[in-house]
Amino acid sequence: MLAIQDPFGQLPVPASTFAADIDPLYTFLFATSLFFFGLILAILLYSIVRYRRKHADQPAANNTTHNTALEVVWTLIPTVIVMVVFAWGLVGNMDQQVAPKDAIGYTVRAKKWAWGIIHPGDAKQTPAEMWVPEGKPVRVTMTSEDVLHSFYVPAFRQKRDVVPGVRQILWFEVPEGQGFAGQDFHLFCAEYCGDQHSKMAGTVHVVNQEEFANEPWKGGLPDDPVARGEYWYTKAGCLACHSLDGSRRVGPSYQGIWGREGKLVDGSSYTVDAEYVHESIRKPQAKIVEGYDTAVMTAYDETALSDEDIADIIEWMKTLK
Amino acid sequence: MSGHAKVVTPTPDGGFATHEVAHHFKTAEQEYQSGKLAFWLFLATEVMLFGGLFAAYIIYHDVYPETFVAGGSTLNWKLGALNTVFLLTSSWTMAMGVRASQLSQKKALVGYLVVTWLFAAGFMVVKYFEYSGKLSEGVGPGYWFNPVPGSHYAEVLEGLPFPNLFFALYFTMTGIHGIHVLVGMILIGWLIVRAQKGHFHSGFYLPVDLIGLYWHVVDVIWIFLFPLLYLVP
Amino acid sequence: MTTNIPTVDPATSGGVELRKEPSYLRVSSGLWSWLGTLDHKRIGLMYLVGVTAAFLVGGALAFLVRLHLWTPDGALFEPATYNQVFTLHGVFMVFIFIIPAIPASLGNFVLPLMLGAPDVALPRLNLASFYLWCTGTILAIYSIINGAVDTGWTFYTPYSLETGTAVVSMGLGVFVLGFSSIFTGLNFIVTIHKMRARGQTWFKMPLFCWAIYATSVLQVLATPVLGVTVLLLAFEHIYNIGIFDPQYGGDPVLFQHFFWFYSHPAVYIMILPGMGVISEVISVHSRKPLFGYKLIAFSSISIAVISFLVWGHHMFTSGQSEFVMVAFSFLTMFVAIPTAIKVFSWVATIWGGSVALSAPMLYAIAFLIIFTIGGLTGVFLGTLSVDIHLHDTYFVVAHFHAVMMGSTALAFFAGVHHWWPKMFGVMYNETLAKISAVLILVGFNVTFLPQFEMGSLGMPRRYATYVEEFQIYHQISTVGAAILGIGFALMVGYMLASLAGGRRAKANEWGGVTLDWHTPTPPNLYNFDEEPVMTGDLYDYTSGIPDYGKDAPMDKDELAERQAAEGWNA
Repeated sequence: MLAIQDPFGQLPVPASTFAADIDPLYTFLFATSLFFFGLILAILLYSIVRYRRKHADQPAANNTTHNTALEVVWTLIPTVIVMVVFAWGLVGNMDQQVAPKDAIGYTVRAKKWAWGIIHPGDAKQTPAEMWVPEGKPVRVTMTSEDVLHSFYVPAFRQKRDVVPGVRQILWFEVPEGQGFAGQDFHLFCAEYCGDQHSKMAGTVHVVNQEEFANEPWKGGLPDDPVARGEYWYTKAGCLACHSLDGSRRVGPSYQGIWGREGKLVDGSSYTVDAEYVHESIRKPQAKIVEGYDTAVMTAYDETALSDEDIADIIEWMKTLK
Repeated sequence: MSGHAKVVTPTPDGGFATHEVAHHFKTAEQEYQSGKLAFWLFLATEVMLFGGLFAAYIIYHDVYPETFVAGGSTLNWKLGALNTVFLLTSSWTMAMGVRASQLSQKKALVGYLVVTWLFAAGFMVVKYFEYSGKLSEGVGPGYWFNPVPGSHYAEVLEGLPFPNLFFALYFTMTGIHGIHVLVGMILIGWLIVRAQKGHFHSGFYLPVDLIGLYWHVVDVIWIFLFPLLYLVP
Repeated sequence: MTTNIPTVDPATSGGVELRKEPSYLRVSSGLWSWLGTLDHKRIGLMYLVGVTAAFLVGGALAFLVRLHLWTPDGALFEPATYNQVFTLHGVFMVFIFIIPAIPASLGNFVLPLMLGAPDVALPRLNLASFYLWCTGTILAIYSIINGAVDTGWTFYTPYSLETGTAVVSMGLGVFVLGFSSIFTGLNFIVTIHKMRARGQTWFKMPLFCWAIYATSVLQVLATPVLGVTVLLLAFEHIYNIGIFDPQYGGDPVLFQHFFWFYSHPAVYIMILPGMGVISEVISVHSRKPLFGYKLIAFSSISIAVISFLVWGHHMFTSGQSEFVMVAFSFLTMFVAIPTAIKVFSWVATIWGGSVALSAPMLYAIAFLIIFTIGGLTGVFLGTLSVDIHLHDTYFVVAHFHAVMMGSTALAFFAGVHHWWPKMFGVMYNETLAKISAVLILVGFNVTFLPQFEMGSLGMPRRYATYVEEFQIYHQISTVGAAILGIGFALMVGYMLASLAGGRRAKANEWGGVTLDWHTPTPPNLYNFDEEPVMTGDLYDYTSGIPDYGKDAPMDKDELAERQAAEGWNA
């Protein structure tokens, strides 16, 4: 199966049903291209060798200026090929565009620079990690809180821009029984979104349906609040802008943050305490530390980080030196 | 390169300057045709530029039809119509000016150009009253769109989505058009000075011809702007 | 081709034909004689210097990008700096180098010669276009100093509205550069319509002129839309006009429509002139008329027309309606056909010719190879379902570099090598030139073939850091970039050396027959000794090859006399 789809091993693991259509088309395009490239190169090299100018005033071997039959043939052949490719690509794309009715619904919220995934039947957002069952179509409804992003899982051959002010929908299905359960796949942001664009990554965990029924996204959180705080820091997107080692990123570093005092852009002063951290997460524009840009950070609401999660982050911050 | 008749003398000869054909042209005819073609191409770029703005307007009219109808209803169509009459008439006087230059009628040329200039100035005066009327009630483009509560604008636009868009497009489109009118006034002023000196005659009237074309395009763009903005369907 | 200008047989004339007038390089001297010149050839040379400098800056930035990507975490820069570097690379290469490169430098120099004209139709506009180019470039450099730009050369909203960098001044620079491009295009259309030699009908025009004509139409009709787009972008910054900003009811995808309505035709503004150069180079160096002349001419025009109808294929993942996608994909496929026709015709021209493996020809062959790769991979991206996977990955990066860098830039250099002896009357070291052509061909493929593969595996573009599995591809690619860099550095070196002490070029170094080879070498101020009249066929290599107007000194006494009378230096 794999060998026919992608005999040259050029594509990622074919972990969605689209691969069965796209991979052979890609291979067809590649083989056809290779054939024509080889043909053109061969004729080119042959002509250069065969008709090489050996003395300075050697005239051309022939002065043919056109050959209607030949020109018609080499116009028609590419026309036929590209029409076949167009039709094949169109059929595959219809499939990519239209989600089946029984698809299970996910919501994805994109912001600089983190993915937030709301699993079916859940209200709480899981940062950067997505669990999907094999053998069931998945429909993802996506919104952006700031700029353009693009949801891209190479293994699924599926991609869709996330546009602020618009709901974008994408779907895919991981084929059942082909050993994809238990595998993890990259989720990338494919539309340039600024500073930490390349760090706006995530993981898609494929699980079998029984395991999926256990809602795996809910488990796995550490028991220790400090460890949970660190988990949110890494996964919810904080680390993209806030370093731990004092180096300057888009926002202030967390090094020794607890109890820190300093000046805000409006000239007033601040002290980092529980109230300040809570406000900075819920309303990031309220207090901007002197020397930093406004309007970079977007707010985290209850769905993204609950009050309990923020409490975890505060516990963790207290431990930062 | 062998030369041809490179100096053009006018007919009739009284009070006109001769025109020297540029070094790289063979004939005055080639020079005239080249200038004319170049200018038509320039006008095509103007059409494409305004075409982009019109496309944006039509798209958002489609997205927010109620807002755009309400926005259009706040504009004073009588002033818009007056300006349409100004520009149409000035197009006619401009055309007559071009004809006068072709016939070597110096006085008539200057007269028509002055009248054209005055109509253009009239257009700008009307625009000034329209703009200041809006700005005084807090209706400006984009950032400056804060209709004074209780004003006519605030009432009509109450509750409609994104009225800022209509006015941002109104000011941007009429503003860019207005800049074109101002540039036209400068060019016509320059023509008047040169016409006085007798530079234009049956043998050489290219600048009058080209600026005439420009003026017609400025007019035509307004012919599209007026119904789109003031008489929104 | 035959004209009224006699072909001189070196055997009977003693090998020396005395010039009747000084060459355009000697007719006047001093800085102002260049900066204020209305001569299309001098303006072309000033452009040549300018765009080459821009290419070197853009190339250095590209090499920094490649070095940075040596390690997964990024070897050189903070992500913010990396984003600025790749943006500047794009802006310099696209707007400052590649769009003006061939039309404004080679086109300016060669087009009037090919048409048998003493100059372009509007010399003042030509000079104005050059100074607009300078102004736009200065604005771009100012933007770098004033905070740089980190939006990518595409300036997509809403990111470009909220980034704190110098988007407005860069946009203004692009606006000004756009007008420079419009002026050049407009000038060339008028020149082609009104300045052709007597006897030169439309179908007796060299294919380079056809390519420039098609390009110019695109420049005149598409660039104003870029102008209004960057203007609206500036208005967003200045007063929140709102049409691209979702906060004010606008639609960020509309910006993409506006942008690509220009920038897709711009792709052909970049490649069509390159195709024209290649047509001329292949014909001359194969000493054979171009195969399928009319079909190539029409394919240039049809590419230009289709290019206005396919912009949406840059936005297959943006959520356009399926109907729109179908239309754009279908039309995109029709770009492949005229493109294929051109490649076949070039190969058929070489077939049965008298093929000289000269330096320009090697560059042209490298072009043919890379352009074929670029064209074929374009079909992958026009195919809807496959593009969804490949969109915004390194596959796209490699594809457009194959077309822009591997094709247009190589065509540009093929043309520079081809007309260099005509421009300066000197020859470069051809052995070094051949080595450089081979280095560039090899370097290009080592750089970009791994990028095709990386893209197919899912490596997104514009990434300052990446996951480890892509490292090997990035490293091979960086090695390739180093090879490319050596090739280009070598080229700059021997070209400059030829000006200092290259051998004197022959009057007709390659044995070309089009009107550009009927001028003295280098040409006169007004190009021809007498007004040319075309009579025979266009690419006729059988009725005598012009060997006319060597740059030998005039009779000594006459020379001194005229120098004194006309004030020019030998």
